[in-house]
Amino acid sequence: MRLHTASEVISLARELESESAKLYRDLARRYPKNGDALALFAKENEGNIVQIERAYYGVITDAIEGGFAFDMESDEYTFDTSPEKDTGYPDALHKVISIEEKIVKFYSDAARQSDTLMADIPRAFRQVVKKRETRLTKLMQLL
Amino acid sequence: MALLEEAIKDLKIVKNYIGGEWVESKGTIQDVINPATGKLIAKVPISTKDETEAAIKAAREAFPAWRTTPPLARVRCLFRLKELLEQNFEELSRIQTQEHGKTIDESRGETRRGIENVEVACGIPTLMMGYNLEDIASGIDEYVIRQPLGVFGIIAPFNFPFMIPLWSGPYAVATGNCIVVKPSPEVPNSQMRLAELIEEAGFPVGVWNVVNGEREVVSTLLESPDIKGIAFVGRTSTARDVIYRKCGETGKRVIAQGAAKNFMVIMPDCNVERTIPALMTSFFGNTGQRCLSGANLLIVGEDDQFYKDFLNRVVEAAKNIVIGYGLDESVQMGPVRSKDKKERIVADIESGIKEGAKLILDGRKGFKVTGNYPLTCFLGPSIFEGVKPEMKLAREEIFGPVMSVLRASTLDEAINICNASRYGNGNAIFTSSGKSAREFQYRVVSGNIGINIGIVAPMAFFPFSGMKDSFFGILHTQGQEAVRFFTESKVVIQRWL
Repeated sequence: MRLHTASEVISLARELESESAKLYRDLARRYPKNGDALALFAKENEGNIVQIERAYYGVITDAIEGGFAFDMESDEYTFDTSPEKDTGYPDALHKVISIEEKIVKFYSDAARQSDTLMADIPRAFRQVVKKRETRLTKLMQLL
Repeated sequence: MALLEEAIKDLKIVKNYIGGEWVESKGTIQDVINPATGKLIAKVPISTKDETEAAIKAAREAFPAWRTTPPLARVRCLFRLKELLEQNFEELSRIQTQEHGKTIDESRGETRRGIENVEVACGIPTLMMGYNLEDIASGIDEYVIRQPLGVFGIIAPFNFPFMIPLWSGPYAVATGNCIVVKPSPEVPNSQMRLAELIEEAGFPVGVWNVVNGEREVVSTLLESPDIKGIAFVGRTSTARDVIYRKCGETGKRVIAQGAAKNFMVIMPDCNVERTIPALMTSFFGNTGQRCLSGANLLIVGEDDQFYKDFLNRVVEAAKNIVIGYGLDESVQMGPVRSKDKKERIVADIESGIKEGAKLILDGRKGFKVTGNYPLTCFLGPSIFEGVKPEMKLAREEIFGPVMSVLRASTLDEAINICNASRYGNGNAIFTSSGKSAREFQYRVVSGNIGINIGIVAPMAFFPFSGMKDSFFGILHTQGQEAVRFFTESKVVIQRWL
């Protein structure tokens, strides 16, 4: 589905963060050895939603008055979080890594597209990208 | 994307907020219809003279204690209000979409702009300061202090149900005045929710009152000797012939903002990629129901190819605007506020055809509404070509999603066309030439000027200006000018013997 309005893109950000948080909580339960680290990622996702929404609510007028519109395809970023049967820890982690890469792409694309008209939004998106890149390194270490 | 949940779920019975009490009106009752769904969402009273007088009395009685409340304590109420507005941001925005029809992004933008005025008014301890000079003569000092006047009336239109009373209200109360707000009866829910938050923020009773209604409320405010000034936004005929005139007769201060017919001037050297989206929101944002909306697209130059290519892109972009219920996140343009308004806009389109302009995009038909909603209040974008400055289409406000395209050979001619308009609200030029921009800014008689900006909406710390038949008064709403409007300058000259 093509996304054009700021509201649609922020809703997708919220959905991606919530879905991936759910996945981390599930993994934390299933693999208690690294449970604390995985649960922390879920908590960080909640913080990301707050950060993105705060930036969006703060500058939405700039977007409207500048005639800004996104052009993104939601299917490129959505992912399946349903647990696969008999999945071992490495496979589960590989799945999470590929999801994280999709989310990084989402935020990077959204930051690039909103660069011209809004100051705070691309900055907030890029901060999440940075956090997620650090997270990817940590996930690799958990493998 | 799914439809966002509605904020107003059950039928609301709107009451007046007078002296800290929620009072049921004895006046007649009017329906408030969601223009997108056709659903009845509220019943609003058309309050009586007695009820308006009760609100004025409550405000008058609250004034002595409120004006002696230290400014720092007064703005603490505003700080609490700001926090409550943030907490209820989404609900407030969805109420606007439900009662007005605008898209959720537009409503959120409106909520933000309203909150920004509360934020600026929180600076009253600094903004309200006077000034002084020692030794104006031997041993004599002189200083200016700013004092509140008493009770003010705020009369709001339908197009920004949440924000417009906040252009004045926060400054009025922060400077120590008390107010009576009259929202538009078409969209009363936003001000009702705001009044609930005012109450929760701990404003003393009587400082902020809301009376719903129509002419009788307005006349009572205008006639009352207790009302020291009026801030009004609405039609030019009402602004000039009723509000401005009556305030003059009764010695009241006045801010009366009227209609507009804004020109968006396109120079051949503009950045086309950036200009087209800005024009879409300028002309069709808020479904054209905005006094800063573009109305006339004035393309400058003799280059027919540029004109043709530019106009084709404008038409294509307008055709692609997604129309529907504003709570659907994919929607880019909602309905107009009511069936009557739609009929009036359609009549203006028909009159434009009769005048000889060419309707190249017909918003009366052939547009698609996302979702299954009655078409009662929906219109698509309309674009007229071959419009001449003398046509009614180019002269009179339509207040709907209609673009009139005109041509001028030179910037000089374009400026003359802009200045021949009776209105002067928000005109803009799109160019990459500093010289053209400066010329436009310097010569065009308009309260707000845009340079590569389609909606010339001043931020809360700048005045919302207007000229010619778009504004009647001297000082404006917002920022320092609002502080001046709501205070009297008292000069003290002292010598201690």
